[in-house]
Amino acid sequence: MDTRVISGSRAFSWKRFFMQWEWMLVLIFIAVNIMNMNLSEYYWSFDSLRDATMTFLDKAFIVLPMVLIIILGDIDISVASIVALSSVIMADLYNSGVPMPLAMLICLGVGLVCGFINGLLIVKFKELSSVIVTLATMIIYRGIAYILLEDQAAGKFPEWFSFLGWGYVGPVPFILIVFAVCAAVFIVLLHRTTFGRRVYAMGNNLTASRFSGIRVDRMKIIVFTLAGLMAAVTALFLTSRMGSTRPNVATGYELDVIAMVVLGGISTAGGKGRMIGAILAVFLIGFLRYGLGLVNVPAQVLLIILGLLLIVAVMLPKLKLSSLTRKPGR
Amino acid sequence: MEPYVLELKAITKIFPGVKALSDVMFQLAPGEIHALMGENGAGKSTFIKIITGVHSPTEGEMYVNGQKVQFQNPNDAKRLGIAAIYQHVTCYPDLSVTENIFMGHEKVQKGTRRIRWGEMHKEAQKLLDDLGAKFSPRTLMGSLSVAEQQIVEIAKALSTDAKIIIMDEPTAALTKRESEELYRITERLRDRGASIIFISHRFEDMYRLASKVTVFRDGKYIGSWQVNEIDNKDLIVAMVGREITQLFPKTEAKLGDEVLRTDGLGRTGYFADISFSLRRGEILGFTGLVGAGRTEVFQSLFGIEAYDRGNVFVKGEPVRIDNPQQAMKLGIGYLPEDRQKQGLVLDWEISRNITLSALDRFVSKGSLDTAKEEEEAVRLAQKMNVKAPSIYHLVSSLSGGNQQKVVFAKLLTADLDILILDEPTKGVDVGAKSAIYEIISTLAGQGYGVIMISSEMPEMIGMCDRVAVMREGRITAMLGKGEVTQENILQAAMESRSPSEALAGVAKS
Repeated sequence: MDTRVISGSRAFSWKRFFMQWEWMLVLIFIAVNIMNMNLSEYYWSFDSLRDATMTFLDKAFIVLPMVLIIILGDIDISVASIVALSSVIMADLYNSGVPMPLAMLICLGVGLVCGFINGLLIVKFKELSSVIVTLATMIIYRGIAYILLEDQAAGKFPEWFSFLGWGYVGPVPFILIVFAVCAAVFIVLLHRTTFGRRVYAMGNNLTASRFSGIRVDRMKIIVFTLAGLMAAVTALFLTSRMGSTRPNVATGYELDVIAMVVLGGISTAGGKGRMIGAILAVFLIGFLRYGLGLVNVPAQVLLIILGLLLIVAVMLPKLKLSSLTRKPGR
Repeated sequence: MEPYVLELKAITKIFPGVKALSDVMFQLAPGEIHALMGENGAGKSTFIKIITGVHSPTEGEMYVNGQKVQFQNPNDAKRLGIAAIYQHVTCYPDLSVTENIFMGHEKVQKGTRRIRWGEMHKEAQKLLDDLGAKFSPRTLMGSLSVAEQQIVEIAKALSTDAKIIIMDEPTAALTKRESEELYRITERLRDRGASIIFISHRFEDMYRLASKVTVFRDGKYIGSWQVNEIDNKDLIVAMVGREITQLFPKTEAKLGDEVLRTDGLGRTGYFADISFSLRRGEILGFTGLVGAGRTEVFQSLFGIEAYDRGNVFVKGEPVRIDNPQQAMKLGIGYLPEDRQKQGLVLDWEISRNITLSALDRFVSKGSLDTAKEEEEAVRLAQKMNVKAPSIYHLVSSLSGGNQQKVVFAKLLTADLDILILDEPTKGVDVGAKSAIYEIISTLAGQGYGVIMISSEMPEMIGMCDRVAVMREGRITAMLGKGEVTQENILQAAMESRSPSEALAGVAKS
């Protein structure tokens, strides 16, 4: 047995530095770009790439809190329904005379409440997994949206509202700026605060977290409420870009979002992964879609490629654990 | 002379780092009820697992009906008619009694492999009738009481034609009436020709049922006696036996003010009437058999599962504790019994584990100050003498003793007055044990009020100023200085008393 007195210094290791999934994502990202450049001469230009970001960034807002949820070892599949419900309520209110800024605030409020309900149900019914709870609320929230709009489209928003989805600040799309700010906030929240540390602790060992005096129920409710709020942010940008809304908007977003998080190296077993990985995955998938779209690759093929990428993302950490890194022996 | 139905000779079992059994022997005569006794950790469970083929012995020989056998897996044991009925019934609550009885050896039609339900139900009914059970074999297992489930387990053993039946603390969760019923069934089994190994902590079980008793201690065979040859006192000595040779670095701490007092604390179904007080510098022991309710009392006091009766006073002030945060704010810390599941994040570094329960202390300008955090982690890890190359080592790579020291360090980051230590030396080797005793003694000397929960007699006697003994959710004795002896503890822990006698025991202290 090692009998040295414990020390507080850690040797820097290049191997450890490069043995991170995020570098793999960077490599794939570069590969995707090289491939796209060869596929289409229109791909590699500032304007083209800049405008591409506008088309895929809307759902990226949900990726941020979804990272927290999956680190907790939970999942939320109701987020797309929250997008639809908050979007529909906003349109409904505006069309019945509520001023647009107020309707937008209420949109955020609806998301907040939906997320809070998810969190509350998950904490109160511990025997139910979060998949089941959010499957139920997914159906309920979407159902309410259908009742409100009855499969109609609603829109005719004021002119300035389209700025959210289409506007620029100087040369930079407005949505990119807002996303950058949100991403920075979430990175700090997860990696620099006690809140983030507690999220990791809960995902690793919920019982020990409870015994360590972490308010685990309250933490879970906050995280799910955050997801609801960010889903409503997505609703704002998505509605603005489309100019109108329907009860079936954002269908399938939850799976896209979860795919991005998993590709980003966040383990569905909980407790592991970093925010930057998921953000990289957002851009990776976004540019891949955009490039293949330029050369008219059918959407189905694209899905197959995404599926393969996901399998690699899930498999690789397992291979790495068994062959490359060995835990120091007992 | 008739051969023994089961005989074990010179059995030794070594697990990595632990010698669970050393040179143990055992003889079971036909038609005998043989009690096997010993303290927690004496090696009884390992012994059963060897007989039932779950573990194979490192050394030694085993004979069934005079034939030498070597079990590769539990099925080999089953085939020779050995069946075990465990303390915590292992059943399928959502299946019927019949399915539970025939799980793994269903009656099937030859050829089509169709399950022959009618026949199985009929046979199950016959087994249950034999045992005097009053429920139908079609009942769901989960709707039965623990006692009834135990009868199903026995029926299951009979359905495989078991000739050697091992019962592991079958009466632990039963009421007096239910135990009486179980005795009757056990005797009927014996009369039908089965031989029974009966493991129990209760003397009354042994005297009522067994004709022979074998005692294990610390993984060793101590002796076998005819039950009518040995009295209560000699049996206790046999079970505890050893002189306390371990070094307990207990120093006399000056007792200060009262920091904690409870008055009639209770939680329905778990414990009742728990009253005690604790002073600064004092080490108050809580002992009793596993399942006596010690852990439940203190998890309630720490806010894990709320108590529903009684009052708690911290430093004289009446308080109400509903969750661990409140408990820690009041200065109560809890070192959990299961350090791997409840105390540590195994996949984390030492440093992060140490600071987890007091993260708010390391915040500056809204974010975590990792430098400050690691500085504190190094200080505490050194103070606890954790042996590891650095604080960035994963906790999962440490030995049990060092893991426990990390949990102690974690406890000390928070600002506490009262430390509740639940089995602080469980699964820790002897060397690390005395290091942990030293830590505990130092902490008491610094003015912490310490509560130490343990099943190990020597450390209770060596470390504690006073010892409370619990049995079936109640304090049956509060032993003061000079009264803390093995005999007194075992007496209070094992023998049932009427409530008035129990009260007298408390009043005496």
